[in-house]
Amino acid sequence: MGKILAFLLLGIVIGLAAGYLLVSSVTAPSQNKCLYEAGKFSGVPKKGEQVVVVYGFDANYPPFTVMQPNGTPIGFDVDVVNMIAKKYGWKIIYKPWDWSTIVTALEKGDLDIIASGMTITSARSQKIWFSIPYYSYVHQIVARRNDTRSLSKILNSGDYIAVQSGSTADEWADRLLKAGYKFKKLGLGSYTSALKALLDGRASAFITDSAFLGPYLKKNPDIENKVKVLGNLGAPYNYAIATRPQDKWLRDKINAALEELMDNPKWNELLKKWGLG
Amino acid sequence: MPSIYSFFRYIPFVVEGTLWTISLVLGGLVIGFFIGLSLALVQSFGGERLKKMLNIYIWFFRGTPLLVLLSLFYWAVFPSLGLELSPLETSIAVLGMRSGAYQSQIFKDSINSVDYGQILAARSIGMSNRKLISYIVLPQALRISIPAWSNEYAVILKDSAICFALGVMEILTRVRYVSTATGLALLPYLFAGVLFFILTFAGTGVMDFVYRRAKIPGMLEGLR
Repeated sequence: MGKILAFLLLGIVIGLAAGYLLVSSVTAPSQNKCLYEAGKFSGVPKKGEQVVVVYGFDANYPPFTVMQPNGTPIGFDVDVVNMIAKKYGWKIIYKPWDWSTIVTALEKGDLDIIASGMTITSARSQKIWFSIPYYSYVHQIVARRNDTRSLSKILNSGDYIAVQSGSTADEWADRLLKAGYKFKKLGLGSYTSALKALLDGRASAFITDSAFLGPYLKKNPDIENKVKVLGNLGAPYNYAIATRPQDKWLRDKINAALEELMDNPKWNELLKKWGLG
Repeated sequence: MPSIYSFFRYIPFVVEGTLWTISLVLGGLVIGFFIGLSLALVQSFGGERLKKMLNIYIWFFRGTPLLVLLSLFYWAVFPSLGLELSPLETSIAVLGMRSGAYQSQIFKDSINSVDYGQILAARSIGMSNRKLISYIVLPQALRISIPAWSNEYAVILKDSAICFALGVMEILTRVRYVSTATGLALLPYLFAGVLFFILTFAGTGVMDFVYRRAKIPGMLEGLR
């Protein structure tokens, strides 16, 4: 039995090594070849053809994408996408998608663009390519107003700090833990539930981004009276519209439209409309 | 606090999710029924080698979390087979294959609980395997399996909520969106709980009715 097992293991190891060598020699791109095959929106579409763009979003992120009672989304990002579509006469298909698999869905072709408060990160840029940024925010750490401890005391208290799992705030919590601060991370399903945990006392602090917190507090003044911002974390981050790398035509069009939109005074009105100005 | 009235406007949106949930559950149960019944028949009457192969299928689907199966089939298995299935179709197929593995155990046990003397008797009067199964075994085994089968309905109903991972707009996916849009944590989920309760109650009620209608007086008394 032992002999068979040993042979089996050896076989697996050799097989993996051979496979790795083979794959790495085959997929190494040559200098003058394009990395990506042409995709759905790589080049200019045929004349007279209706451009249909599948717009993916996670409707869990007010005020950028929220679901309406009739099943269609509204929000800042939805307005931006609609304005771009109106400029070019594109047809938009709204497709709600779970945030955890949304990048894979874009790569695979279930979606054509993502505009759902998506932060430009280096890890995401390996798989999907972003338009020019259209909104910046910073991360903030929030506590209850009646909590008199300082920021460093809370970070070293061993208490829970709430974040949305998988969000950039989650990454910040990990970074702080790695830096040696002593607290416990409480990962929850959304920013709203993480804020709720802070209000309920299940967490002593809440890491969020200003893009969520500002508009949310403006809409809910009674919550604003119960919390305070202890401080900002790190440099600003940017939101952008994500596309597949090979869809150059689409990205160029989106970039041109975004530039035009942001140069227009109406852009500030749009920001104000959603409490972001 | 966010007003609870803001939730009322979302009730039709959430209730619409029942259609998706029902299609997931019915699709999964029907596919699972045919897979489960064939697996159970092979396990009871088939050859040893075939049984072993099917056991691998059953252990795979019983031993892997649904979320893993959904991801595996949506992102890897179906695309590599060249099948372009939508999230809903994938979810129904996966729920069906998984339910088939569970249902095979239900049917296997009910087939085993048919009195062996009857099978011997059928063989002694020269019935072929096919006749034996369709005239002697299945009419009894299917009746015996109804209570356990309605339990499978209740299980798959609540498992279907995991299909939100593929963006299927069933009840819980919608409730998550509504919870964010209204800022309410408890009420939308409570409402979803009530919907699931009604669906479970109605479904098991239908199965009870079928059980009572299909019952043959005296048939199961011998077993107890």
